Formats: sequence, structure tokens, C-alpha cells
Amino acid sequence: MKTPRLALALLGTTLALACTAPAEPPAAPKIGAVAPDFTLPPAAGGEAVALKDLLGKSKAVVVIFDATKCPYAKGYKERVAAMGKEYAAKGITFVTINSNKTEPAAEVADDAKKHGFAFPVLKDEGNRVADLYGAQKTPEIYVLDPKGTLLYRGRIDETHDDPKNVKSPDLINALEAILAGKPVPAAETKAFGCTIKRV
Amino acid sequence: MAGPNVSANPRSAAAAVLAAALLVGAVSASAEPVKHLLPRDYAARVVAGKKGRVLVVNFWATWCEPCREEMPDLVAAARKFPSRDLAVTLVSLDSQKTGPTQVPKFLKEQKVPFVCWLAKSRDPQDFIDTVDRTWDGSLPYTLIYGRDGKIAARLSGLQTEASFTEAIRRAVGAK
Repeated sequence: MKTPRLALALLGTTLALACTAPAEPPAAPKIGAVAPDFTLPPAAGGEAVALKDLLGKSKAVVVIFDATKCPYAKGYKERVAAMGKEYAAKGITFVTINSNKTEPAAEVADDAKKHGFAFPVLKDEGNRVADLYGAQKTPEIYVLDPKGTLLYRGRIDETHDDPKNVKSPDLINALEAILAGKPVPAAETKAFGCTIKRV
Repeated sequence: MAGPNVSANPRSAAAAVLAAALLVGAVSASAEPVKHLLPRDYAARVVAGKKGRVLVVNFWATWCEPCREEMPDLVAAARKFPSRDLAVTLVSLDSQKTGPTQVPKFLKEQKVPFVCWLAKSRDPQDFIDTVDRTWDGSLPYTLIYGRDGKIAARLSGLQTEASFTEAIRRAVGAK
């Protein structure tokens, strides 16, 4: 009898497909939700850095998906370096993550050193953390409170190439609000950026 | 038996020429100098005039490597569709300082025949949200509008000739 064999074959095929189908990636964190934890190695080598350790000793953590070659990211290097120092003194930790497959760890480390980044600079091989955060471009900012709750997502400000004429310092506004114990005025903002070069 | 002799039949020759022109029509226009595009003008200047045809709008920049990489593929994909079915427009996110020279230079060197606008917006968020609220601002980005003028498909990141062709074909064939 062919019908039972056909039914069994179809069932087998369905089961096989179900078992091999790729799992859906987790949804990107929304404002107010707890962002995914991660542990990544520094681009310059050394002991891996865990987000939960940074959260445990900070009033907030600023996660920046960064790049070495993207003009939008490059336009912000000086500002990020300066803000990293300024806000470290106020208890806020900056950390940059490079998820680009086209930018090796050594290049990322050199770039960070060249720009004077005095905070963790991590390499996300296989863009795993970028996927967890739903990060699509560089630069892309996520600000987390000590519990890992996402308070702000988006841009640093509205102009990557005119730092003297910033009219909307959104990241600074978010950080100042957090330090003052107030709600972040604009929790989500947008800017242009370069797509993350994924595997 | 000898095949048809086109030169002996003027009507056939004319029809053949017209058919060839229509086939390459989607990419036959020469590249024009870039013009500035404000967010408030996007709908009227870029989208509105193309209703009835599928419209591809590609957001790119000369400094964006995947944007440059996919441009020949967009040209190749567009060539497969007649101009009565497809229009293609580019919107460059190059800076106002370098865009007016860099953009036409690139388009000329690459023989890209599409009209190209140079986005002009004090705040990029205004431009991004005007174009597509679901767009996060990453480049390259391609919108495909259906014949009804509504967004039919969104392509984010580097595309290939095959992915452009498939997306366009679906929009062209949609009822």
C-alpha cells in the first residue's frame, strides 16, 4: 500500500525539516526591557569582559557598536573618547563592540589606541552580540542601567561631521537624565550609519 | 527556406527597434547632475511621479563600500525590465561638501544611468522617518514601491543582482 508509505515519508520529511530549521534569533531588546548579557574578548587580547561585571560597578553602561572604517563611526571617535573619560568620572562606563567581519581584532585595537579610547573595546566575532541586540549599523548606541534595562537606543547626536554645531546631543541628554534620576527625554533616536558587515 | 529578411520589411524593422528601446528603457536615461532633496520633497519629487510603474529607490553614498559594490548589480537587474514597468532613482547620503563632485564622478565612472538626488537634512532622523519609519538609517538601503506608490519591499544591506531582480520581479508581477 502506497498511501501509508507516502504519509510516513511526508511525516519524516516534516520532522527532519523541523529539527534542522534554524532557530529564530532573539528579538532585539525594547526600551524598558532587560538587554542580553554578553561576554566578549578585548580586541587587544586579554581576559574577556562580561557585561554583568560592568553593570555591577556602574551607574549605567553605554554600549556602542562601532567600526574602524565607517565614516559615520569615524566622525564620532573624538567625541566618544572624550565622553568616555568625562562620564567615567561620573560612574558611567563606556564599552565599544566591533562586530564587522571585515575588521580584524588587531585593526580594532589599533584604532582604539589611536583615538585614545580609555574603556573596554571588544571584538564580536561572528556578530553574535550584534544579533542579540538587533544592531544593524555603526555607530549604534545602547544605554543600560545597573540592572541591564535598556534606557536609550540610537545615536550620539544628529551630526557626525560637524561636532561644533551639535543641536541635538541625544546621548548626553540621556546620560544626564540618568544621572539626575529622571526619565530619558528621547529614548529612541535615529541617524545614518554603515550596515554591520555580518558573517 | 530562408528566414525573414528584416531589412526587406520596414514595419518589422521599426518594431524591432522599438522593442529594443523599450527593453533597455529602464536604464536608457543618462545620469543627470545631482540635485538636493529635502525631506519634505521626497514624496512629491521622488515617488509621486512614478505611480503606475514599479519604483526602486536606492539610498547610498560614495564612501559606503557595499553601496558601491552593489551598484553594478542594481544596473544589471534594472536592465531586465522595460521602462514602462520600472523606474530607478538613487538618493545619495554623501555630505553637502563633497557630494556635488563625488557623486556625479562615481556615477559617470561606473556608467550608472539613474537619476540621483543628494539628501539634504539638518537632522538625519527627519529624513529617515520621512522616507520610511521602519528604516533605522543603515546603508545601503533599497525601497521598492509598487505600481500603487506604496512600499512593496525593503532591502537592507548589500544586495546582489539576483536579489534585486527577484524583488523587482515580484513587484512588477504583483496585481
